[in-house]
Amino acid sequence: MDLLNNLAYGFGVAATFQNLGACLIGALLGTAIGVLPGIGPVATISLLLPLTFGMSSTTAIIMLAGIYYGAQYGGSTTSILMNLPGEVSSVITALDGYQMARNGEAGPALAVAALGSFFAGSVATLLVAASGPLLTSVALSFGPADYFSLMFLGLIVSAVLSEGNVVKSIAMMVAGVGLGLVGTDVQTGQQRFTFDIPELSDGIGFAPMAMGMFGVAEIIRNLEMPEVRDALKTKITRLWLTKDQFRRVIGPVLRGTALGSIVGILPGGGASLSSMGAYTLERRISKNKHNFGKGAIEGVAAPESANNAAAQTSFIPLLTLGIPANAVMALMVGALIIQGIQPGPRMIEAQPDLFWGLIASMWIGNLMLVVINLPLIGMWVRLLKVPYDLMYPAILVFCAIGVYSLNNNSFDVFTTVVFGFLGYVFSKIGCPPAPMLIGFVLGPMMEEHLRRAMLLSRGDPMVFIERPISATLLGLALLAVIAMALPSIRKTKDEAMAGG
Amino acid sequence: MKRRPDAQDLFAGVMFVAFAAFMLWLNTDHPIGSARRMGPGYMPMLAFGILGVLGVAIVIGGLLTGPNLIGRFAWRDMVLILLAMVVFGLTVERLGFIVSIALCVGIASLAEKVWKPLRVVGLIAFLLALCWFLFIWYLDIRIPVFPWSY
Repeated sequence: MDLLNNLAYGFGVAATFQNLGACLIGALLGTAIGVLPGIGPVATISLLLPLTFGMSSTTAIIMLAGIYYGAQYGGSTTSILMNLPGEVSSVITALDGYQMARNGEAGPALAVAALGSFFAGSVATLLVAASGPLLTSVALSFGPADYFSLMFLGLIVSAVLSEGNVVKSIAMMVAGVGLGLVGTDVQTGQQRFTFDIPELSDGIGFAPMAMGMFGVAEIIRNLEMPEVRDALKTKITRLWLTKDQFRRVIGPVLRGTALGSIVGILPGGGASLSSMGAYTLERRISKNKHNFGKGAIEGVAAPESANNAAAQTSFIPLLTLGIPANAVMALMVGALIIQGIQPGPRMIEAQPDLFWGLIASMWIGNLMLVVINLPLIGMWVRLLKVPYDLMYPAILVFCAIGVYSLNNNSFDVFTTVVFGFLGYVFSKIGCPPAPMLIGFVLGPMMEEHLRRAMLLSRGDPMVFIERPISATLLGLALLAVIAMALPSIRKTKDEAMAGG
Repeated sequence: MKRRPDAQDLFAGVMFVAFAAFMLWLNTDHPIGSARRMGPGYMPMLAFGILGVLGVAIVIGGLLTGPNLIGRFAWRDMVLILLAMVVFGLTVERLGFIVSIALCVGIASLAEKVWKPLRVVGLIAFLLALCWFLFIWYLDIRIPVFPWSY
C-alpha cells in the first residue's frame, strides 16, 4: 500500500540520529514549557527560530513540532497536581484533574492524561498521513480565486472562534494583513511604508514581531502578576488505571480524539478550543455527569485527548495548503520560509522527507512523551521551584541574541522592542495578538492571489462567486458570520470560554 | 446616572482608526491601479480602509456597552524590560556580547520583586556561560564577543 510505503519512508527519515535527537529535544523542551506557567509554545518556538538556521529544514520542523505537542503533555501535569495550568489548553483539565488529585487519585489522573494523549496523538498522526496527499490533490486544482476565498474563510473562522470580542479580533487580523504589506511590492518593486529605512524593504521581520508580542510582552505581563507557586502537597500514587477506570475512559477518549481532530483542522481552532469543546460535550452526555467538577476521570480523559489530537491535526492545513491554522502554525510558516521552502500543496511532492519524516516523528515523539511524562514526573514538578525572577532575564537575553543573530543587525532588536510594547498595550485593551500574526503571514499571499485572480478575470469580481470552489468557501465564511450573530450560539461559545 | 462606556473598546477603536488613517495617508504615494491591474497601493487601500471601518464600529460598540476599565499599566516593569533590550541593541556591536548581556540582565533584574545583588551577579555569570556555550561555541553565530573584537 502506498500509505504504508510512505510511512516506512518517513520512519527512515525520522529515525536518523539527528532527527531523533531533534524530536527528543523538542519533546523535552515542550514538556518543560508546558509545565512552567508564563511561557507558552508560541514564545518558545519564536525564541528558537534563529537556532534552527543551521539545521536542515526537516530537523528544524521536527524539533519545533515537538515543542508544540510536548507542551500539551506537560501542561496537564501541573493542572492536575496543583491546579496550576501551564498552558491555556490545560485549564479545563484542572477542573476535574485537581479534584482527582485531592481525592488521592493523582496517579490515575496523570496516567489517563498521558495515555489518552498518546492514543489521540497516534490516531491524529495517521489522519494527517492519510489526508495529506488527498487534500493536496484537491488543492492543486485550486485557482487564485479559490485560494483567496480559502484564506478569507480561514481568517473569518479564526476570528469568529477566537475568544473575546469578535470585531476586535477581526480588526487585529486586518491590521496584521496591512503590516504584512510593508516592504517592497513584489510586482512593481515599489517601496511601501518603508520610510526609506533599508531594513524595512524586506518587510517587517516575522520573528521579531512574534518574539515581541509573545515573548517580551508576556514577560511584562507575568511580572505584574503576583507569583503563585505552591509546593506540591499531593502524593503521587500508583501511576496506572484500574479496570473500572479503564472501561470508563474509553468513550471519552474516543470522542475527545474525534472532536479534537476536527477542531484542530479549523482555522483558529488549535488545542485550547478543542479541550473546552470536548469537556462540554462529555459533561452533557456522560453517564457520570453529576460527578463532573468533583473529580470525574472522564473530565480529564476527554479534554487531554482532544487537545493533543488538535495539536497534530492543525498541521493539516499547513502541510497541504500552506495556510496556518493558528499562531503556532504561523510560526511554522515563518520557519519554512526562512529555510527557503514555500509551504503549499506542492510541498509533499517536493519535500517528501519533510512531510513523511515529520509525521513519523510525531508518532515517535508522542511515544517519547509518555515515557518522559509518566516515570519522570517528579523531575518536572521540581522545575516549578525555579523562581520567575531567574527565568525572565534568561528569556529576555535569549530573545535579544536570537533576533540579533537573524540578520546580525540591531534593527531587529528594536523591532522586537516596539512589538513588545504593542503586545503589552494590546493585552490591556483586550486585543488578541494571535490573529495579527496569522493576518501578517497571510497578507502578502492574499494580495498575490487577489491580483492574479482579478487579472485572469479581467477585473471582474464575479469570479469569486462563479467558481464553485470559491463560492462554496465564501458561503461557508458567510455562514460562520451569521452563526456568530445568532445569540444562542454566541452564548454557548462565551460559556465554553468562560468555563476556562 | 450617565453610563460609563467601555474604555478598552474606545481605546482600541481609536487606535485602529488612527493607524488606518495614517497608513492610508502614506498610501497616497503608491499608485492604486485598477481592479484588473492592481498597483502597489490597491491592497493597502483595501486593508486599511476595512481597518478604519472596523475601528469606527469598535468605538460605537464601546459607547453602547461597558463599563470596562483599562487595567493599570506596570510602567516600571515595562520600561525596565524594554530598556534592557534597547541597551543590548545599542551596545552589542560596540561593546561586544559579554558587556551587552551583562548590561541587559542587570537592567532587567531591577524589575525583580526582591532584588539581591549577589543573585544578579550569579545570574549574569551563569547566563554568560550558557550563551557562550550555545551561541558562540555551538552555533558559532557572528557576533562580536569582546569590546576589542572590532
